[in-house]
Amino acid sequence: MLEVKDLTKVYYSGFFKRTTIVAADNVSFKVGEGEIVSLVGESGSGKTTVAKIILRILPPTSESSKVFFEGKDVWMPKTLKELKWYWRNVHAIFQDPFASFNSIYRVVRALQQAFNLWEDLDGDRDRMIAEALKQVGLSPAEVLGKYPHELSGGQRQRIMIARCLMIRPKLVIADEPVSMVDASTRAEILKLFMEMRDQYRTSLIFITHDLGLAYYVSDRILVMYKGTIIEEGSPGEVMESPKHSYTKNLIKSVPLLLRKWTDI
Amino acid sequence: MIKMLLLSSDNLKAYYVLSEGTVRAVNGVSMEIDHEVIYGLIGESGCGKSTLANVLMMRIIPPLKFMGGSLLLNGVDLFKASDEYLRTRVWGKMVSMIPQSALSALNPTERVRDLIKYVLKTHNKELTDTEITEIARKRFEELNLPTDALNFYPHELSGGMRQRVTIAISTLLNPDLLIVDEPTSALDVSTQKVVLKLLKRLRDSKIVESILFVTHDIAVLRQIADQIAVMYAGKIVEMGQMEQVMQDPKHPYTKALVNSVLTPEPEIRKRGLTYIPGEPPDLSNPPPGCKFHPRCQHASEVCRAEEPTLRALGNGRYSACFLNESTTEV
Amino acid sequence: MLKIKRFDIGITILMLIVLLGIIGPMLRNVDPFDFGNLRDMPPSWQHPLGTDSLGRDLLAQLMYGIKTSLYVGLIAAIIAVVIGVVLGGISGYKRGLADESLMSVTNIGLLLPSILLMVMIAAYLKVRSPLMVAVIIGVTSWPGMARGIRAQTLSLAEREHVYLSIMSAYRASRVLFEDILANMAAYIFTSFIIHMSGAMLAEAGLSLIGAGPTMGTSLGLILFWAQTMYAISRGLWLWFIPPGAILVALASSLFIVASSLDEYFNPRLRSK
Repeated sequence: MLEVKDLTKVYYSGFFKRTTIVAADNVSFKVGEGEIVSLVGESGSGKTTVAKIILRILPPTSESSKVFFEGKDVWMPKTLKELKWYWRNVHAIFQDPFASFNSIYRVVRALQQAFNLWEDLDGDRDRMIAEALKQVGLSPAEVLGKYPHELSGGQRQRIMIARCLMIRPKLVIADEPVSMVDASTRAEILKLFMEMRDQYRTSLIFITHDLGLAYYVSDRILVMYKGTIIEEGSPGEVMESPKHSYTKNLIKSVPLLLRKWTDI
Repeated sequence: MIKMLLLSSDNLKAYYVLSEGTVRAVNGVSMEIDHEVIYGLIGESGCGKSTLANVLMMRIIPPLKFMGGSLLLNGVDLFKASDEYLRTRVWGKMVSMIPQSALSALNPTERVRDLIKYVLKTHNKELTDTEITEIARKRFEELNLPTDALNFYPHELSGGMRQRVTIAISTLLNPDLLIVDEPTSALDVSTQKVVLKLLKRLRDSKIVESILFVTHDIAVLRQIADQIAVMYAGKIVEMGQMEQVMQDPKHPYTKALVNSVLTPEPEIRKRGLTYIPGEPPDLSNPPPGCKFHPRCQHASEVCRAEEPTLRALGNGRYSACFLNESTTEV
Repeated sequence: MLKIKRFDIGITILMLIVLLGIIGPMLRNVDPFDFGNLRDMPPSWQHPLGTDSLGRDLLAQLMYGIKTSLYVGLIAAIIAVVIGVVLGGISGYKRGLADESLMSVTNIGLLLPSILLMVMIAAYLKVRSPLMVAVIIGVTSWPGMARGIRAQTLSLAEREHVYLSIMSAYRASRVLFEDILANMAAYIFTSFIIHMSGAMLAEAGLSLIGAGPTMGTSLGLILFWAQTMYAISRGLWLWFIPPGAILVALASSLFIVASSLDEYFNPRLRSK
């Protein structure tokens, strides 16, 4: 359903002495329908860059970088109608529940914005918003009139999920969706993601640095390091028989609950 | 002769007194930290653990106000100590703390070796520069830190290295108790392990006696802590040996917390994830009775009406829950 | 007890001075450029602040001076802000070559001592109206504004809510307006106020060294004449103290208003 080929993003800086930062280096992978794929990597690995390129927010550097969604080249110049179609089908949930909202508007704007993706939408918009909020466990009354700073991180992330439920995209890219949320609310938010996949066959690209999270939710794990995918496989394969030394080191460094480190 | 505890507090209370209300961040904490122990304090954000860390360090800055209880460090009642005593005898020597966001705690205008010089000179004016350099080198070698780092400015070091250097500088005077508040939360997993190794080394080589490790990350504590205290809404709800508390948690909150953690282990994947409904309480307006009861699936009438006290369950285990009532009150 | 906020104090002082400058002349029809009065007169019913060494009524001078200083401040600030927002905004949003070339220009602009520049331009133009002085000040102070706007734009453009607006298929102009400029509105407004304050002080500085307007009068010009005629050593307090005090009061009240407005604009900073 989604195919990413040779994604490359290079940043140049400096007027005279040009320095290059390779954020993504020929990244290629595929995502199938109803599949949950985790993009695991530490900070600076390039995983967010890849996400932004797929989401059509950040253009890739080279001509040969391609993103295909349902066979169509995503970066070919698009009409407004085609763009709307793309973002109805591919959407995102970001890491920072605060920065995801424009603090000078009420939170409901994040939901109302989504309606712009349809040409003409019939149906009671307020009802649709209320339904989506209830689905994520929020009562419209307690949330709608508020500003972002009046709600908790967990509530804000849930509103973002509600936005996705309203749009019902085929693919959701979740960039560290629970890293800035309390442990006790984390589970509930993850449950909502799994429900999206189970009920609507939504595919998910989970971007995270948390190997435990990736292991739990994914069908497939892709490990990124310095802009390239260095390991790919099912959670079991990656954990039990990692091939790359970086992955091995990563696994060794993750604190576990049931097994104690022997080398500390 | 029973050796006295390194730290012991009794019904410690400290509130933030604000115009919009009083936040009961530390609401009756009684805990004991023994020698040669890495003691974990676990809780979610907003439970008061950072405030408690500050109070144990005697860093009580308004609007935080001491509201009662006692705090003994090496037998010394810290709340009766003068500011002079705290400054010259306690801070840095009996207890040292690395607060949250310590990555920016080092003075960026000084090289590491000059920061060390400042700490050592303040403690002992007689030290010569050569002696100071020697002490610094030896300590860095002891802690497996590259001695080159001494010549750098803090911003020239990576995040992980900076954290380790901060820890090294904070323990130069060999404090009895080192308090660390979320020392690895901002670090990559591989750097985290290096820092944890450093902390363990500090205790094992007796540079510090004991460490109080404050965090929200249970898995980290599992790897490094000997004993653990679980904090919720300004109170300790469970205490005991790390292994025991992990394998057989007594308090419903601890149980739920342990079950909400994900690690890449097949058993954990099978166990699945449980979530704790609701949100942590507002500490300026907490619910009556047991502070956890609105979110507890075992809550009963008594939980809504009365507050359970921290009770000894034998074997060094303590829990504050009516479900565990059986033995003597603490 | 009445809860008097910082903003109230600032705005009150500001309004009083502005009223003095604008309504004052309407109520008291005295020509500030009438050199025919008796010189160095102490305060009287006819001349509440007395007269200066050139025979002008000091109160009339003061009111007219306030009006001119405000005018210069306003125009200079508008010029600096408009150029700064346009260039800084484009630079920050588009990045690339536009950004790099603009940054070089602003670097040069910021390095040059603006006072020197202003004095040189002023000296070159023999006759200077307050408007021209305002333009000179505005044109030498936009680099600072542009830098600030660019920095804000850069950080705002990376915020997730901007991405979400893009993914809601908002046109670029709508994203720029709703998610970037709107969030900068407070910054732009307070920058404007601060630039206005700075411009008034700059005009006073220029006037004091003789590089200010060559027509009319401003607070700075009153001080210039007071200084030229040795008003301090001659003890003519009412000549130089009122304009100086009003200048300081104007600058400070503008700063107070600017900082307290920041609280109003940002819902996060509001105390509940």
